Amino acid sequence: MLWTNFLMNVSTASNTAVDYFPIGIQLIFAVGFVATMIGVSALIGPKRQTSDKLQSFESGIESVGNARQPMAIKYFLVAILFVLFDVEVIFFYPYAINFRDLGWNGFFAVLMFVSLFLAGFIYIIKKGALKWED
Amino acid sequence: MSITEILFWFLSALALVGALMVVLSRNPVHSVLWLVATFFAISGHYILMNAQFLAIVNIIVYAGAIMVLFLFVIMLMNLNSEAEPRKSWMMQLAGVLAGGCFMMVLVSLVRQTAELGGKTALVKEGNIGLIKQLGMKLFSEYTVPFEISSVLFLSAMVGAVVIGKKD
Amino acid sequence: MNAIIVSAVFGVLMMFASFLVNNKNVYRYLAIIGLSVLLLANILETYAIWSIKFDSFLQLSFERFGLFFNSIAIAATLFYVLLSGKDIVRVGNYSAEYFVLIFFILCGVSLITSYNSLLMLFLGIEIISIPLYILTGSDKKNLKSNEAALKYFLMGAFSTGLMLMGIALSYGAVGNFGLEGRGVVAFGGSMRVSFLEVAGLLLLFISMSFKASAAPFHFWTPDVYEGAPSVFTSFMATIVKATVFIGMIKLLEARTGIFGPTWQIILPLMIVLTLAIGNITAVFQQSVKRMLAYSSIAQAGFMLFALWSANDMGREGILLYSVAYTLATVGIFAVLVKMKDYTFDGFNGLAAKQPLVAASVAVFVLSLAGIPLTAGFFAKYFMLASAIKSGAGVWLLVVAVVFAAVSVYYYFRLIQAMYFKEGEAEMFEQPTNSFKGMLAIFAVLLIVLGIAPSLLFNYLYF
Repeated sequence: MLWTNFLMNVSTASNTAVDYFPIGIQLIFAVGFVATMIGVSALIGPKRQTSDKLQSFESGIESVGNARQPMAIKYFLVAILFVLFDVEVIFFYPYAINFRDLGWNGFFAVLMFVSLFLAGFIYIIKKGALKWED
Repeated sequence: MSITEILFWFLSALALVGALMVVLSRNPVHSVLWLVATFFAISGHYILMNAQFLAIVNIIVYAGAIMVLFLFVIMLMNLNSEAEPRKSWMMQLAGVLAGGCFMMVLVSLVRQTAELGGKTALVKEGNIGLIKQLGMKLFSEYTVPFEISSVLFLSAMVGAVVIGKKD
Repeated sequence: MNAIIVSAVFGVLMMFASFLVNNKNVYRYLAIIGLSVLLLANILETYAIWSIKFDSFLQLSFERFGLFFNSIAIAATLFYVLLSGKDIVRVGNYSAEYFVLIFFILCGVSLITSYNSLLMLFLGIEIISIPLYILTGSDKKNLKSNEAALKYFLMGAFSTGLMLMGIALSYGAVGNFGLEGRGVVAFGGSMRVSFLEVAGLLLLFISMSFKASAAPFHFWTPDVYEGAPSVFTSFMATIVKATVFIGMIKLLEARTGIFGPTWQIILPLMIVLTLAIGNITAVFQQSVKRMLAYSSIAQAGFMLFALWSANDMGREGILLYSVAYTLATVGIFAVLVKMKDYTFDGFNGLAAKQPLVAASVAVFVLSLAGIPLTAGFFAKYFMLASAIKSGAGVWLLVVAVVFAAVSVYYYFRLIQAMYFKEGEAEMFEQPTNSFKGMLAIFAVLLIVLGIAPSLLFNYLYF
């Protein structure tokens, strides 16, 4: 099977893995373009490696200290809360698709889930976990 | 070899190499990036099996959100010291032995499982993994575990506040 | 389903209380009220008077045994909060949150006692584990607590991974998450159990043994139990551990004989190993807290007998064992929290200063050692007798009895320190009268159950 045929099949098939073929091509092009550009510029660009140039750039000021410093836990707290709510949102997709078919039962199931999450959210806000200055 | 087969072998190789590099690379940041590559390969596998929802969730949640968390954890740690603690050779030997035994069990398991012989995976089609079917199952048969999982999320939230919040 | 829902609701209520109310004593009273309501709700369901019902599509099944264990776990938690509530509040700045997590753990407990599908088992184990990781690390200023939490989390996450893999393999063999299902394949004209399922259940069993700290999966136990704040150690060493055993019993009962004849080698080996490691290492400990950690491994060895016997007597025995072990351990830890020095020497001369406290601790210790006239004796007796009923070899019983004798040595060191040594036995604060009263009630309960253990079983059947 020619790959051009493969491409033409897309329109007829519905919801199979083949649908992802265009996405795959796009992905290949995106990655390929970036890789090529970086590679080519590294190949044909001028290279003059002096000790000044190899230093990490800090707006012309001499670099101080080490970049590998432990950072504040606050970032992590925000990130982990983000993941929790991210997962919550994921559960909405299958509900949204079946919104009509599920009727009231599905609605109440989602409502309960969301209200529990809302309770958690209120708790987080009230506890000041998202407050940056302390 | 059809395109599907080529894709399958390519993705499998990518997943295996990625997983190996996660363990082997010395720099933890590289490990995380290889893990992202592994997740993408696994997402590709999901698409091949027409489990589209899983594929997207895998990318959004795992390759996106959770890997960012991993990077945060690495940045929280002090990684200045070049020399990481060396395990004694006894420990390494014990690890190799235990891991090797486990691998042997799994390999012999796959070899001896008669019901796997002659079966092929459902590739490219089959609508079990589609978001519509998944949603119907999730909100009918699996409503109770779905609701209970929110207790798990709540305890994680409380935990994040208890452990992560500055007193 | 009462226990699952009510405990989750009270968890959420405590979450709101944490920012609406700013009084640590109120949290404690709220928790006590919540636990009482929870106990009542569970008892109402046990006697089929009132229960909330949701169609779980056979993923949960509420039987007398599980509901009764729920009652035991909730009542034990209630006693635990009554006894050590003030110390829970004092661990850190998040007093209300500790109770939230305890309520969520009880939600997980009631899931594990009623699961009928491996999915629910997984959810239950996770709902128990995640709050425990947090409680372990709740003493944030203490490096040991931090280390214990990290160790527990990493090891626990790994064991959860094994459990998921086991469930996945079992799913592959059976085709659903059902507890009763069994994967069979045609093999040379006859049917035999699928290897996939055997491997899956073995992984599941390994992971649960990890949670129950049975050897050789016990390595995390001493460090975690020692590093965690003492009040929370007593909670996770007792109620949570007993729950995991209930989960294991349900699993192995539903799929008896799945491991075939090798089971007769694996389990006795584990029992002997657990008993040996727990008891022999406990002998050499100088810290009472660490000794109790090892002794909890040793007690897990006895609880494993219930898996071996897998009969009604074993089921009764594990209930009695849970009660006896939980009451005694919670009691000792409640006293331990108040001591300045956690070594045996720290208990020197306690009897002279606090006769009632020392007497109660002596009863707890005797019960843990399994001396007659205490509940611990009948607990051990039921375990061994049920194993004989199922045809255990005499050598296994001899080993168990020998190690029980070894345990007498280190338990009696505590009695010796309290009664026969001169010392100061300094405490952070003088125990209040209500504290002493609760301790005495614990001791009396242990003795009553030691004289008439059938009092407990009456509730199981009537």
